[in-house]
Amino acid sequence: MKWSPADIEKFMKASEYIDTAVVPLLPVSLGDDMKETASMTDFANILSSQLERQLQGRILLLPGYSYFKNTAQESMALLQKWETQLMDRQFRHVFYVTSDIDWKQREGQLKGTLLWLPSLPLHQMDEGSKVSVMEDQVRQLMNLFISKWREEE
Amino acid sequence: MSKNRVSRRQFLNYTLTGVGGFMAAGMLMPMVRFAVDPVLKANASGDYIATNVKVADITNEPQRVDFTFDQVDAWYESEVTGTAWVFKNDEGKIVALSPVCKHLGCTVDWNADKQNPNRFFCPCHYGLYEKDGTNVPNTPPLAPLDVYPYQEKDGILYLGKAQPREGA
Repeated sequence: MKWSPADIEKFMKASEYIDTAVVPLLPVSLGDDMKETASMTDFANILSSQLERQLQGRILLLPGYSYFKNTAQESMALLQKWETQLMDRQFRHVFYVTSDIDWKQREGQLKGTLLWLPSLPLHQMDEGSKVSVMEDQVRQLMNLFISKWREEE
Repeated sequence: MSKNRVSRRQFLNYTLTGVGGFMAAGMLMPMVRFAVDPVLKANASGDYIATNVKVADITNEPQRVDFTFDQVDAWYESEVTGTAWVFKNDEGKIVALSPVCKHLGCTVDWNADKQNPNRFFCPCHYGLYEKDGTNVPNTPPLAPLDVYPYQEKDGILYLGKAQPREGA
């Protein structure tokens, strides 16, 4: 379910079934890597919304967590607060979707699962291959979610 | 000065008629366009969307069929991909099932769970459906999968809007 009024209404009715939160991590930078961070943000957004489409019955897709890329320490501290809030509620699984390698290096500080994927130059591809590439990525990620859920039982 | 020069009164009359006429036309034209719009729009295939599957290629085994259409959603216009599970049932009739789980809307997969072969399986809460789309009792879904109405045109499969069915 998405962070939209209609979906949240559904969420309230069936909240016992939704135990997984997905947070896209979206870097922002005004320096030389401006374009790079834009494509990372784009990629993480598309990927997580496609994931939500496939697994919407068990996932709450939160609005992206955007942060300045040059304040790594603070963004980590704040994200840890997000994590505590989510895990204190019903969310037993928290997944982060990002293309920013910085998170991968500090993965140990997070309790949730970090899904790091290198971003693809989507804006250079044509419509058809864009969709099929993303579908492929999503299918593989889905298996990760499913096996994580299975582990639990 | 000629005799039949335009008087002030005549000049104002002409101007007002002209401007008024333009304004009336400006209001009436869109109305007329709205009124005749449905006539202009109607075409034979209606809301049926072409898939890339030939009717002759459909087998007894459900296969994934993707089709794309434009969806206008408030201010976004986007190309949406729809999916259907298409197969021929025992009587040889084509069945096109929606992959959206009736429980909370995840995407179901055919034959994906090893313990339940030849059934549709929902990975989110382990919902199950028989091949014809009826929900298996004691799993979360309470209704069978939606069915797409279909049409055959030039050997190509066309799908309409998915229709819900009665619960089992």
